[in-house]
Amino acid sequence: MNAATETDRALVDRVAKGDRAAVRLLFMRHHARIYRFVARQTGSEMMADDITNEVFLELWRQAPSFEGRSEVSTWLLGIARFKALSLLRKKKEDWIDDDAAAQVPDSADTPEVVTMKEDKAAALRRFVDALPDEHRTVVDLAYYHGQSVTEIGEVLNIPVATVKTRMFYARKKLGEALKAAGYDRGWP
Amino acid sequence: MSAAEKMSRRDEMETLLPFYLNGSLEGAELEAVEEWLASDPAAMAALGEAEAEFSGTAAANEAIRPPADALSRFARALDAEAGPARAPAGQSWLAKIFGRVTAIPSGVAWTAAAALLALVVAQSFERLGGKGNDFEIAGAQDDLANLPFALIKFKPDAKMSDIAAFLGQNGLKIAGGPTADDVFHVTIPASTAADYDKLVGLIAAQPFAEAVAQGRKPVDGG
Repeated sequence: MNAATETDRALVDRVAKGDRAAVRLLFMRHHARIYRFVARQTGSEMMADDITNEVFLELWRQAPSFEGRSEVSTWLLGIARFKALSLLRKKKEDWIDDDAAAQVPDSADTPEVVTMKEDKAAALRRFVDALPDEHRTVVDLAYYHGQSVTEIGEVLNIPVATVKTRMFYARKKLGEALKAAGYDRGWP
Repeated sequence: MSAAEKMSRRDEMETLLPFYLNGSLEGAELEAVEEWLASDPAAMAALGEAEAEFSGTAAANEAIRPPADALSRFARALDAEAGPARAPAGQSWLAKIFGRVTAIPSGVAWTAAAALLALVVAQSFERLGGKGNDFEIAGAQDDLANLPFALIKFKPDAKMSDIAAFLGQNGLKIAGGPTADDVFHVTIPASTAADYDKLVGLIAAQPFAEAVAQGRKPVDGG
């Protein structure tokens, strides 16, 4: 356990005692990552804004029952994931996000053609974005949120073996997309 | 046999590389990846590819910019959820002023204390004999009301026995308090301004005194 983790837990203890300054500190520390996680989950920054606020209000409500069995960041991501899925289910039929629509590549260009205009880094970023949700989420949680296999399993409520399988296929798809774009990486 | 179990060694290592890079791998899996990186010429190239994915994923996430006013909006939502924030106990306006007085140099402190005194005494006299005062001030006919006094705040860890002994030795009496801010009204048995200053200075020097403000002070020749 590193010092930052201990501080997070100490802050949650303070929140449990009704310390609003502590919840604001946790908000400042984790807000951007939770916001981005939800935005990637939902494809909507508007939903991300609402849900992220709700995540930290939930932190305020649930802090007394936090048992410290997981890292605070993992706990928050789990709350965010649950709230994002709940809201997505509720708004599935009528939610249209302009930002997400704007990110869909122009159909006049095939992925290969688009990629030819970019360097490898930009191509990778595009390919990560284009992964199926369940694969991209695992990639995001590992690469951006620094979560372990076990922690990702906790956040997504799936077995460790499933986390590995999703990571395997996510990386396989990235390799195939790169290969199709002329960047052969030698695997798969 | 699950898909994960069917993986070849290369597949398995490729799957673990992201977790090796984010530092969360440990135990047998960490050893396996390190052994692979040390023994397979293709492994270092694979690590480079994973690092590129790492950068690409970070860039994709960092491109999302959270709103700048998120904290202020959250603070309002929190207040709506939990009710208006209250100042911590003991942090009323008077306690805060006392805190500031004790935190500044003594010369400045006494000037500030004098200003505080003017405010508190003015309020005290306005309320003289009235109900609902923060602390009791003896009535106009009471001798105590005419005695010189000082306003004292004791440290939270002060021992009552030390305070009582000091007061007894110096003829001091607590005439009122504590207020909601833990301020006591203490009579000062002094007939001259010099005696008053000496006693008030003595009180301020005591380890149990957190703050002392001058109250009614004898007027020499008055």
